[in-house]
Order: sequence, then C-alpha cells, then structure tokens
Amino acid sequence: MSAALAPEAPPRARPRKAPRDVLAIAMAVLFGLIVLAAVFAPLLAPLDPYETTPQPFLSPFWGETANAAYPLGTDGQGRDMLSRLLYGTRLTLLIGLASIAIGGVVGIAVGLLAAFYSRLDGVLMRLADIVLSFPSILLGLAFAAVMGPGAPAIVTALAIATIPEIARVTRGSACTVMSQDYVVAGRSLGLRDWDLLTRYVALNCLSAVFVFLTIRFGQVILVAAALSFLGLGARPPAAELGTMASQGRDALFFAPWIATLPCIVIVAIVLAANVLGDALRDRLDPRLRNA
Amino acid sequence: MTRYILSRLLSAIPVLFGVLLFGFLLLKLTPGDPATVVGGPMATPEVIEAIRREMGLDKPVVWQFLVYVGRVLQGDLGYSLISNTRVLDELSEAFGPTVELMLACLVWSIPLGIGLGTLAAAYRGTLVDRLVIAISVVGVSMPIFFVGLLLVQYVGYYWNLLPFLGRGGPVWTGQGLAHIVLPAVALGVFFIGPVARMTRAACLETFGQDHVRTARAKGVRETRVVLRHVLANAMIPIVTLVGLQIGFLLGGAIVTETIFSWPGVGRLAVGAILSSDLPLAQGAILMLAIGFILTNLAVDLLYAVLDPRLAR
Repeated sequence: MSAALAPEAPPRARPRKAPRDVLAIAMAVLFGLIVLAAVFAPLLAPLDPYETTPQPFLSPFWGETANAAYPLGTDGQGRDMLSRLLYGTRLTLLIGLASIAIGGVVGIAVGLLAAFYSRLDGVLMRLADIVLSFPSILLGLAFAAVMGPGAPAIVTALAIATIPEIARVTRGSACTVMSQDYVVAGRSLGLRDWDLLTRYVALNCLSAVFVFLTIRFGQVILVAAALSFLGLGARPPAAELGTMASQGRDALFFAPWIATLPCIVIVAIVLAANVLGDALRDRLDPRLRNA
Repeated sequence: MTRYILSRLLSAIPVLFGVLLFGFLLLKLTPGDPATVVGGPMATPEVIEAIRREMGLDKPVVWQFLVYVGRVLQGDLGYSLISNTRVLDELSEAFGPTVELMLACLVWSIPLGIGLGTLAAAYRGTLVDRLVIAISVVGVSMPIFFVGLLLVQYVGYYWNLLPFLGRGGPVWTGQGLAHIVLPAVALGVFFIGPVARMTRAACLETFGQDHVRTARAKGVRETRVVLRHVLANAMIPIVTLVGLQIGFLLGGAIVTETIFSWPGVGRLAVGAILSSDLPLAQGAILMLAIGFILTNLAVDLLYAVLDPRLAR
C-alpha cells in the first residue's frame, strides 16, 4: 500500500520492523536454549534433583551462605536448585507440549471436519463455543476434582481447553483452502474425501495452525504452572516449576530464591513463546500486526 | 432488541445444563457407595437398603439427575465432608470477597489499561508505543503468582507497607482497604496487558476512519480528537474484548486468593479439591462456572445497549 493512501499513518511507522525482528530472533535463541537445557537436563544437571542433603537453604553464588557445589543454592530439603530447575523446566515443557499436541491434533481434526462437512459444522462449532467460553483454570479445577490432582488432570484439562481455538483457526483456514481451484480440480478428478482432506486441504492449513499453537503454548505453560502452584498439578517432590514455586512460598522471607528462580524461568519461557508467536503471526498475516 | 436478549438467554441454557451435569457426575464419581458411607461400618444390609431408598439411589440415574437439579435450584448443595456445614453457607460467605476482589482489580486496571492503550495508539510507532507494548507483553507473560509473591515479599514483608494475609473487613474501613490493595494490584497487573493491547488495536482501527480525518480537517485539537472522536468510538470493541477476558480474570482471581489467603470462592474450591471434599468442590466449581456464565450474559446484554446495531 502506498503512503499516499494512508496519510494518517505517521512516517515513523516503517523503520519499526527492524528492532522487532531482532527481538524475535533473540527470543527464538532464548527459547532454543531453554529447550536444549530441558532436553539435555540429565547430562547438564550437576546433581540428582531428588537427592536431599543436610544443607538446606544454601543461598545462590551471590549470597552469604553460598557453596560452590550448589551454584544456585539449595531448597528447603537441601536439594540442588540448579538441577531441580533443569529437570523442572523439562517437566513443565513436557506438560505444555503434551497438552498442545493432544489439543492440537484433536482441534485440527475437528476443524477440518467442520470445514469439510457442512452438516457437522453447526454442531461442532457450537460445542467449541461452549468449551471456549470456560476459563482454562476453571477446567483445570474441574478435572483435578474428578481425576484427583496431578499432571494427567492438568494435561487433560489444558488439551480440552486448546481444542476449540485450534478447531476454529483450522476451520477458518480450511474454508479458504477449500475454495481454491486445485481442491475443486482434485474433487472433479474423483479423489476420495479422505485423500482430498489429508493431501490437499490439511497440509495447506498447517502454517496458520502452527502459529496459533506457538501463541497457545505460552498460555498453556502459564496455566499449567498456576495449577501446579495451587497444588493441583505435578505433585511434590516432582521437580516442576510451578510446584517448586509453591514450595518456595513457605520460605519466601528467608530463602526467596527457592520461589523466585523457577518463576524467572517460567517468565523466560512464556515471554519467548509469546514474542515468537506474535512475530510468526505478523509474518503470516501482516494485517494482524496491530492486534 | 427483545429477540436478541431472548436468544442470548436461551443459548445459555445448554451451557448451564452441561455445568449441572458435571456437578452431578462429580458427586456420582465419589468412590464407594454413598449409602454405606452414611450408614457407617455397623449398618446391616437392611439399614443400608433403607438409606439407599431414602437417598433415592435406587431410582434411575436420569431421575437422580433431575432430583439433583431440583435441589441445586433450591440452593441445596449438600454438606461439606470436612466441616459438615452446609455447602451453600460456606459459598455465600466466600462469594462476597471474590466479587469484592474482582471489582477492586477492575476499578484501577481498566482505566489504566485503556489510558495506556490510547496513549500507545495516539503515539503510534514512537518510544511510548513500544514501551506500552513491552509492558503488556511482559504483563501477560508473568505468572500471576510471581507478581503476588514479589508483592508479598517486598511490599508486605521487607518494607512492611501493607498487610498481605487475609481480608480485613469491608472495603470502606481502613483495615479492609489496606488488606485489599495488594491482591487487587497483583490481579490488576495481570489484567492491564490485555486491556491495553485491545484498546490500542481498537483505537488504531478508529484512527483510520473518515470522521477522524474530518474532525482533524475542521481543526479540532488533537487531544479532543483522541478522546471524543477516537476513544469514544473505540469503546464498543473495547467493551467486547474486555468482556471476553472476564474468564481470564476469574482464573487469575483463583490464584490470587490462594496467595493472599483471601477468603473467596477460588480458595475454597482449591482447598476442597486438595482435601477431597467433593461436595464442597462441586458446589464451588458450580458457583464459579455459573457466575462466569452469568457475567458473560450480562456483558453480552451490555453490548446490545451500547451498540443497538447488534440487537437487530
């Protein structure tokens, strides 16, 4: 669009692109590092995250009671914070990934079915509206009440909470794809519905869905950590970031690092996922840049 | 208008039905036979059979569900397994504080969020804009318990400025007001981000419209253009989007209540789940869900008032 058509846009709007890209790349690197740290946690962790030692509440390296063997200090049971953080990141990411994967697969299937078979459309989307209307944390409470607190309850709740949004995005982009000539051509060639869906429609929707999954990932990690913090998620002694923060709460006034360190890791993960997701969305659809 | 309101009211019914079904199933899922539990270990089979009949457990499940719905509608949610008090009594005590906390959060975070968003849109592309975007992105990326813990640790404990445990009575008393500040700030930090972001988007949309150009061409001062011509017209999308975030706020309130030992419904629900007090958990979740549905309904009806085009 030429500048003449949009005179009300200030001239400074254009060079904005560069710093944003730099930020997105920095966040991608940060995210990559966190994922690597989580994947290789067993190799990187200096100590066993579950082994208790008789040295509780050792402060990290900048504190008074610092001990070189425990660079980030120890928690209330003398467990090495660094090792627990590495394993905790691993478990937190795993919970998020499982929720996103299950919710994503089911959501894509529902969205494709709704777009492909217009008879199912109304029912499926109405159902999605109902689930979508409930806050994820409330679903988490409900599933923790039914299944008992624990990681399975959280993953189930978050997967279910993920389905409707993904289904909507998939349906939207599938409807666009369905009207393309090559889909019409495929249909007139006599392709079966299944082939048409999987080979023509689904593959062409994936980029939009992937971007949404990235944005959703940050939200899922936040809710999962909040539920774990409430005691409804991964059970102690499990090393999980939310659970660790919740346990650190008891020692907040004399050993604040036990709660603060896992919180900082959560912020890093979610911030990276959010900025990355926004950048990918801008790339995919520049119209959404301001949303 | 009437048709719109009616259709919105009717569409809430299947959702309410689903929520009630969930509450019923939750109670049905209690491990063990309820009649045996009530009867105690010494009860003879005849006694258990009598209790079973008295509790309606010999009837078909559908009938039991209808009886359950009838009881819920009359406010009978059963008794807590731990304290043996009526679930409804516990809930009605917790309901006020939760609403109080949410209102105390909205009172400051919505004006601030709208202000920041408008500022960002008016100074689009400048440092101010980028700062507001940064604040809102960091705000939505912070776990609410992190904000809460920081407030407790510094403002509450180290600096000893404000109380951080429990509720100090009604807000209009000094103690009550002092106690609500930290929870309301924690919850609001979480809420400002989305509000600012949505306000910014809605204002940017309006900035491009013809009537804004006309106003500028007439020589209206820029402050007036922003406030009267842009923000006023952006209010409808802002209310819509903010209304959709009520669930988000409710989720945040559940966590905030736990951190600050605020005696609300969220803390009650979490405590009940952790102590396997299923009747109380059922009641609290039911109340949160129904409260949420009703708030959504109210927001929907508010649009109809704000934007008569919708109602047609």
